[in-house]
Amino acid sequence: MNKEVIVEKINYFLVDEFEVETEDIEPRANLKETLELDSLDFVDLVVAIEANFGVKLTGEDFVNVITLQDFYDLIEKKVA
Amino acid sequence: MEEKKVKNKYALITGGSRGIGRAVCIQLAKDLDYNLLINYNGNKEAAKQTLKEVEALGRKGEIIQFDVTDADSVNKAFDVWHETNKDAIIEVIVNNAGITKDGMFMWMKPEDWHSVINTSLNGFYNVTNALIQKMLVNKYGRIINMVSVSGLKGTPGQVNYSAAKAAVIGATKALAQEVAKRNITVNAVAPGFIKSDMTAELNENELKKMIPANRFGEAEEVAHVVSFLASSKASYITGEVININGGIYS
Repeated sequence: MNKEVIVEKINYFLVDEFEVETEDIEPRANLKETLELDSLDFVDLVVAIEANFGVKLTGEDFVNVITLQDFYDLIEKKVA
Repeated sequence: MEEKKVKNKYALITGGSRGIGRAVCIQLAKDLDYNLLINYNGNKEAAKQTLKEVEALGRKGEIIQFDVTDADSVNKAFDVWHETNKDAIIEVIVNNAGITKDGMFMWMKPEDWHSVINTSLNGFYNVTNALIQKMLVNKYGRIINMVSVSGLKGTPGQVNYSAAKAAVIGATKALAQEVAKRNITVNAVAPGFIKSDMTAELNENELKKMIPANRFGEAEEVAHVVSFLASSKASYITGEVININGGIYS
């Protein structure tokens, strides 16, 4: 799966399932703030990633994830 | 009309084969609309008997073997179970499995300390942790931990059991606050002297003099409280410890 597809898929479910405004999606955006996620909401993100990419994320995976770009990179690394 | 995918809903009772666990299974079968998932460790026959009584009430149920102290055994059992029950969700967890190894602390062997802590406290972790993520996604759940008056007041001769149950009470209160936003309640029930295998060797005639109600309790009297906490009626009760002890401690 190439990077564009990954980004596209993630952006799609962010808008579709997490009700993020399309104009708020940009790589430098803070993931937690953009999605208005509290710590419990990460469970939904983990489920969405598993459903879309078939990979399981753990809490540790998110340690260095600050921006959306970090998140794209993490998923790219995981699906590789 | 929009059709909603209805999930098969289950209530899991650890240590559900005998004693208070069995009474809880039966009460939930009577009161609530859940299939029962009856956990046992060693006594399959007793678990089957519980299942039979549940089914006699017109409720569906299954028995599931795992040792709550063994995280691998727990995770494996649930992996298999979820694999074969893809549309199922465990909405109620009753962490009931427990053991006692009583004795004066001064003489207490390390294995008696660790096995009691392992069953009550680590058992709570192993089972609840394995299921909490799905419950959070489900945005509804009930977790009920079987503790004891020993965990509140401390009982001489039960330093290990008192410590284990007190630890679970702390975990109950903390987890309740973590997950409350997702409509998951976490509560504990603290029985006093209840007629069961665990108290079979105690002298009721002697001990009942200390109990204001002047008798041991019945397992059903505990099960009614668990059933209420497991129901949707108890939606605003969380992080609570409910005593069921005939007035011996409050």
